[in-house]
Amino acid sequence: MMRRALVTALTMLGLGCIALLALLSVARRWPWPAVVPVGLQVRQWREVLDPASGVGGAALRSSIMAVTVAALATLGGFVTSRGVARHPQRHRLLMMLNLPFAVSPVVLGVSLSYFFLRFDLAGHAAGVVIAQFIVAYAYAVILLSGFWNPEVAALIELAVTFGADRVQVWRRVLLPLARPLLVLCLLQTFLISWFDYALTLVVGAGRVSTLTTALYQYFGSGDLRLAATCALLLLAPPLAAIALHQRLASAAVAAQWEA
Amino acid sequence: MDQIEPEFRVQNIAVRLGGDLIFDAVSLAAEARTTLAVIGASGSGKTTLLRAIAGLVPIARGSIHLGGRRVDALPPNRRNIVYLNQEPLLFPHLDLFDNMAFGLRLRKVADADVRGRVDALIGSLELDGLGGRFPHALSGGQRQRAAFGRALAVEPAMLLLDEPFSNLDPRTRASMQLLFKRVSRERGISAIFVTHDLKESLQIGDRFAVLRDGRLRVFGDRAAFCRDPSSGVAREAQYWSEVATPVAGGSVRSGREQAAGMVEPLTHREDDHDDE
Repeated sequence: MMRRALVTALTMLGLGCIALLALLSVARRWPWPAVVPVGLQVRQWREVLDPASGVGGAALRSSIMAVTVAALATLGGFVTSRGVARHPQRHRLLMMLNLPFAVSPVVLGVSLSYFFLRFDLAGHAAGVVIAQFIVAYAYAVILLSGFWNPEVAALIELAVTFGADRVQVWRRVLLPLARPLLVLCLLQTFLISWFDYALTLVVGAGRVSTLTTALYQYFGSGDLRLAATCALLLLAPPLAAIALHQRLASAAVAAQWEA
Repeated sequence: MDQIEPEFRVQNIAVRLGGDLIFDAVSLAAEARTTLAVIGASGSGKTTLLRAIAGLVPIARGSIHLGGRRVDALPPNRRNIVYLNQEPLLFPHLDLFDNMAFGLRLRKVADADVRGRVDALIGSLELDGLGGRFPHALSGGQRQRAAFGRALAVEPAMLLLDEPFSNLDPRTRASMQLLFKRVSRERGISAIFVTHDLKESLQIGDRFAVLRDGRLRVFGDRAAFCRDPSSGVAREAQYWSEVATPVAGGSVRSGREQAAGMVEPLTHREDDHDDE
């Protein structure tokens, strides 16, 4: 009962925020203390979507960077998590993997900057991708190390005694078993990159424009309606991905129970 | 009398795990299409013996021959020896049919053949109508039958069963024992069946062995096994005969009272698990 109330409250809060942003993005004016905007217009959308604004390019760059980070971190994290889970010092290794989350992203970015400057990666999208990858990869290893439990080890042994070679074990056992967790990891690491601001700002040295930096620029300019429009663009892909993930997960569970 | 060359031979194998010698100089031989029942208490090394034969743990020395060729140097996926765990491990992402077809698909058997063989097994194992169910929607007995069927489907040269019925309730366990006996005879299965349950070993086995303190003793026939004190059959028989014998005063001694006089029984409670 309590849990349901909490979930309902959080859902309402989230939907309320999105509704507020949507109203701001089409508001002509919204003077205090009016409850709703005075007049509607699409000028904000026209301005944000205008190629001259650079938001479209920033969104494309954000997408490419987030997809790259998510794919590399999930793939690398899955392989690494197997080694970590089997390592005699796995608890220590997992604790070390938490380090990127123990410090502020700005501090992490500053500490990485020396190396990025040295290798001429500062101020480039590739440098930002590498910086985001470090955080996303650590997250992926932590998330996926839970997959390698004794039951999975027993299933691997079972498949091997049935004649499975290394490739067949991965293709027919590990990847299908891990698929829900891998999809979740892809989504989460995508979001780490997609919403990142601090690393982009520090490592990108202000020269790498993404949707989050564009949003902060609009926010800094004082035009809340433009910032709200940009925020909606920033929210759209993650919301769509989460909805799709939920739908696929529900469909999979339903299919299993129907069978 | 003709000497039959054993289908399966283990010679003087030793296994060390983490520096501990689990067993040393274990030898056994088994003919084709028979079941060797190996009985031993928890911690006696039964599971390790099967895992060593399957290639899942390395042997420190000795040799394993199957069907006339040495297999101990081969990786587990090339031995054609299937090891069935205590738990009826089914792949949770596959339904019952696909679980049973798993080994055949690894061997790239044609789909029509897979369908025919798995359907026949489903019928033989009394799993009709359950082919589309996922493991979580099956009972313990159904899961165990599906795991058994999956092993039978690939026609292994040797089937290793590690207390496969130990987690089932007594009734399901009894029916699984009968089913195993019937199907293994029908299909000519060569198997090693380890258990800590004396009655189960007598029900399942064609030949018998006792594993104790890292030593394996194989008996020539059922009578020799039953006669030998190490098998525990004589103790068990004595126990049951005394249970029904009235003592002075007209009462019948309880099984617990009599069991207190027994020395180190090999049989365990139903809920005992071998966690080697």
